[in-house]
Formats: sequence, structure tokens, C-alpha cells
Amino acid sequence: MTRTQDSPQPPEPQTVTRRHLLRLMGAAGFATTVALAAAFPEVRRKTARAAHSEPEGDSSRRWTMIIDLSKCIGCQYCVYACQAVNNVSDDMRWNVYLMERTRTGAIFHMTRPCLHCQEAPCADVCPTGATYQRGDGLVVIDYDKCIGCRYCMVACPYGVRSFNWEDRSRQEPANIYQPHYGSPEVERRPRGVVEKCTFCIHRLDRGLAAGLTPGVDRAATPACVNICPVRARIFGDRNDPNSEVAQIIATTPTFRLREDLGTEPNVFYIPAEGMVIT
Amino acid sequence: MSTATLNLKPFRGASPLFVLWVGLLALLMVWGLVSGIEVLRQGLVVTGLSDRVPWGLWIALDLSAISLGAGAFIFSAVVYLLGLRRFQAFARVAVLVGFLGYSSAMLALFLDIGRPDRFWLPVVSPNIHSVLWEITMCVIFYFTVLAAEMAPVVLESRLFARWPNAAKVGESIHKATPVLAVFGLFLSLLHQSSLGATYGIVAARPLWYKPTLPVMFIVSAAAGGIATSILGTLIVSHLQGRQVIKREIIEQATIVAGGAMALYLYIKIWDWATTTFYSNVAARERGLAVLRLSTPYNQAFWFGEMLLGGLIPLVIFLWPRLRRNDYWLMLASGLAILGVVLLRWNVTISGLVVPLDWSPGEAFLFPRNSYTPTLPEIGASFGIVAYALMGFTLATRYLPIFAESHEH
Repeated sequence: MTRTQDSPQPPEPQTVTRRHLLRLMGAAGFATTVALAAAFPEVRRKTARAAHSEPEGDSSRRWTMIIDLSKCIGCQYCVYACQAVNNVSDDMRWNVYLMERTRTGAIFHMTRPCLHCQEAPCADVCPTGATYQRGDGLVVIDYDKCIGCRYCMVACPYGVRSFNWEDRSRQEPANIYQPHYGSPEVERRPRGVVEKCTFCIHRLDRGLAAGLTPGVDRAATPACVNICPVRARIFGDRNDPNSEVAQIIATTPTFRLREDLGTEPNVFYIPAEGMVIT
Repeated sequence: MSTATLNLKPFRGASPLFVLWVGLLALLMVWGLVSGIEVLRQGLVVTGLSDRVPWGLWIALDLSAISLGAGAFIFSAVVYLLGLRRFQAFARVAVLVGFLGYSSAMLALFLDIGRPDRFWLPVVSPNIHSVLWEITMCVIFYFTVLAAEMAPVVLESRLFARWPNAAKVGESIHKATPVLAVFGLFLSLLHQSSLGATYGIVAARPLWYKPTLPVMFIVSAAAGGIATSILGTLIVSHLQGRQVIKREIIEQATIVAGGAMALYLYIKIWDWATTTFYSNVAARERGLAVLRLSTPYNQAFWFGEMLLGGLIPLVIFLWPRLRRNDYWLMLASGLAILGVVLLRWNVTISGLVVPLDWSPGEAFLFPRNSYTPTLPEIGASFGIVAYALMGFTLATRYLPIFAESHEH
């Protein structure tokens, strides 16, 4: 075990030898591992409880949106309704519209909210747990916990997230970033946090508390779904076999965006005419 | 206590060049301070970042500073685990570089996050599944370790000569150095690679999604960290006109750096071969085509990362005739540092400028994302780099960084 002797060492009683160190390291490593293994589930449970006093979102539900590309006419009402209700300015749209073409060259209209992935990459990478998934599958952001590191924006495969690069809450004389139509139902987010589509969580939760059925009762349904003039957007609880979304998914061919990534989105698309889904 | 007369003796006899250098750094630091205040006041809107390219210059700077501070953990490993005590001479300069590197990185991150007032939140609100949480914790712990390792050096310096107890406190902290060094080694092994994993785990970005990134990050950090310590040592030797570390020990460290560089290039060339040359993954090909057609990525990769920042320093490090010459060695160390920085910049920017591809249609292709750092970003970066250089300049001049008496 003796390797090199650089200098003749005077007999020192308290030199730490390599063997001591390795032993110490082993012990420290073992102790740390045991301590962490024992503590983490507990810490996690505690922080989860502290942050959300009761378990959020009914885990028997699975809120799902279906977007019918064969019906969509590209009016973009869903985009504007979302902006009005959620107080979103033009450059930060939560729900975006694209004019697209199929392989045969036919135009179709693509819109994309947050897909509320079951295996959400954004929630996995968030260092503080500010982005998390509720029991009912909604991926939401606790703005008070977001430190603005923007890793979620880097990790989201769908580019659904916007960052508050500046303070847009000032009202002097009027807030120029607030849409001039409709009326906002939620507070504008502060500077320095990330935001995205929530499936109009405020309507959902209030509606459920009042005994309404999201997707059926308009007051409990996301704004983009309510406003669609051709019913290209349908919303509901996929776990309820009698719901419209469950029946459509059972009977109609649907697809989800980038299924190859394994994110398991809760937004389903009905293909446009002539679209080849691989 | 006697009246506090400021002892300016150290500055007496300073060469005009030294005063000029310190003055220049001070100016750059003021620029950085002004830029930093601007960013904190206005928000990140003053940067060139966008929702499409949310990470930029500061993230590349932060990753580079951390990797160039890696010398501290490499020398701990060599001294305390491999038992090569002669490298002890490098211990203090490596710890100094590490301390400056990590504090620079923390400054850059403080500006980069949207809510600097909440930088501590990951500690009390952990998401253990997040690789960024692990990095945050490691960096906090490791910075503490580096500060503890720096403390004895500061306490035994002339600055504390008036308080005899300070040196005693320093001495007792110093006794814990081996334990601190080994603890720091653990932390470094974790987060130096996790910084690469930050990119490597992002399945949505085909140019990043590969297991080689964490390995390339830690191995290149080993090479760059040693190179930084060597470069600093050589410059101090030349300026002070004495060999602060024995020539043969520097050369042995050079061989370690060369070995790390060789391993890095080996992994890098195979990474390129497997992901680009021998395979054909559609998304990756598309991304590389976007880069090739609209950015100087290929040139930066082959000439910057591979040749200037890899092969040339490797040859100089491992060729005895060349590495015996101080100027060749300084050139090689500088180029190795360039290689480390370029890798981080290229990885960060290349992955983000390639647009995401989620639409199911055929005709539409998102335009390439673009990013140009703005003046406040550049100013803050210069300020942070100037802070590190200022710290190194003053510490090597006024602190016992290259003291002979502390061989164990």
C-alpha cells in the first residue's frame, strides 16, 4: 500500500493516513445514504403537506381536452378568449395558433394549449417544486415558489411556457398589456416567474365546489372550449366513461403531440382530413 | 485599540503595471455593478434572452466558472486519495481558483434567475427529482467547503497579524482540511457531471439528449481546472520573479491535465461519431442541418472545441520539449480554458437555437431561434470575470497562497 514517500517524514503522532481517510469516507458515505434514504420520503411528504394543506385535485378525475382539427376553422377565438380570461398579453399567449399543411398540401388549423402531460418534463426538472402535478392530472405553477430559473421552459417539448421578463402589472394610466376585450378572471403574474395555460383551473375548482360538471356547465369549463363556434374543443373527465371526451376517445381515432417522448399529454387531437398520423 | 491608520505599505513599491491592471479590473467591476443594478431594477427584459432561448451568456459563464474551479477537487483527489503529497503545493492556489470560480458562478446565477430574492427556496422546498436541485445543493455545500478551506489562508495572513488568536483559529480549521477536501471531492464529482446532465436529460432537444454530456462535462472540467491552476501559477511566478511552485511538480500536473484532456477528446470524438457520423436520427440530423446552414456551429466545434481547445493543448501538455517552456505551457493552459468555455457555450446555445418540433403538419417549420447578448449582459459578465481576476491578483499578492510551510 505504500506508494511514494516524497520526504522523510518525522514521526508525527496525528497524521491522517490514506487508509483512515478511506475508512472515514466509507462511513460518512454510508451514514449519509442511510440518513437521506430515511429522511427524503418524510421531507417530501411534509413539504407537500405544508405547501398544499389538503391534497389538491381529485385523483379519480382526469381532466382532458380534445381538439378536433377536422372541425377547426382557424377563427382564433380560443386564443383571444384565453388571453382575456387569463389576462395574457399578445407576446405571451398560453394558447397559440398556427396555420399548417397536411402532406397533401391541404391547410388545417393547429391550436395548442398546455398539454398537461401525465409525465410532465417541466415538473420533473423544477428545483423547488413550483411546477407540480395535481391529483387530477393538471400541471400547475405555484408562482410564490417559482424562482425564475427557466429550466422548465428549456425542458418543455412543446414550448408552452412564457416568462415574465418585465413587470407588467403597472396601471398608469391603463395597463397596456391587458387585453382590451373581455374581463380578466385571474391576477396578472409578477415579474420573474414562468406562466402557462392552467385549463382555467379557477373555473374548474370553483365549479366543482359548486357542484357543476366541467365540460358540461359553462361556468366550470375552460374559456377556449366555451367560445369555440364549431365545437372543435371538447373538455371533460376522461375517467368518467359517460363523459363526452371518454366516448370520443373510445370511438374516434385520436393522436397526441410527440407521443414518442413518452410525456402522455392529456390533450388529444382528432386528425384533420388527409392527415397522416405516424 | 490604536487609531486605525490604514496601512498602505503593500501598495508602496507596486509597479505602474500592477496599478494599471488593478485599475482596469476595478473599472470593469464598476461596469458590472452598474449593469447588475440595471438588471435587478428593470428585470431580465434588458437581456437578449427570450421565451425561445431562455438561457444564454450568463448560464455559459456560470458553467464555465464552475468547471474552471474544478482544480480544487482534482488536487484533493490526487493528494488525499492517491496519496501523492507533492501536489500539496497546488492545494492553496487550486482552492483559491475554486473559491473565485464558484462565487463568480453564484453572482451570475443571482442575476440570471427571475427572482433573486428567492434564490434560497430550493433549500427549504426541495424537488429531489430535479437535477438542478441537486446542483444547487452541491454548489451551496461545496462553496461552504471552499470557504472553510480558504479561511486559514486568510486568517494567517498579515491582515490578521494584530489578532494572534486568528491564526490559532485558522490552524484548527486547517487541521480539518483532509476531511473537507474529501467531502468536497464527493460534492464535485456529483455536480460537475450533473451540470452536463442538465442538458443530457432533456428529451425534447435532440442535440442534447445523450448520456455523454455529463461525462464530457466532468472530464473537461478536470482538464480545465488544472490548466487554470497552472496558468495562474506560471503568471504569478513570472511576475514575482521566483518559482512559486517547483518546476517538476508543475510538469507533473501538466501530465495529469494532458491525461484528462486526452480522455475528454477520446469521449468527444466518439460522441461525435456515434451521434452524427455513424447514425442517422432524423431529429438530430434536422437540428444539425439548421445549425450548419445558419450558424458558425461547425467551425466553432471543429476549430474551436476540437483543434484550438483540445488537440493543441493536449499536444503541448504531453510533449516534454514543449511543456518545459513556460510560454508554450501558458499558451496550452489558455487554450484548454478556451476549450472548456467553448464547450459550455456551444452546448447551451446550439440546443436552444434549434426550434422545437411539435406540430403534426408538414409545411410549417419554425424559424431558427436567435439570441444576441445585450450590453447589460455583457457588462455584468465582464464585471464578474474582473471580480475573479481581481480576487486572484490581490490574493496571490497579499495572502500566503504559495507558502512553503504548509506541507503536511
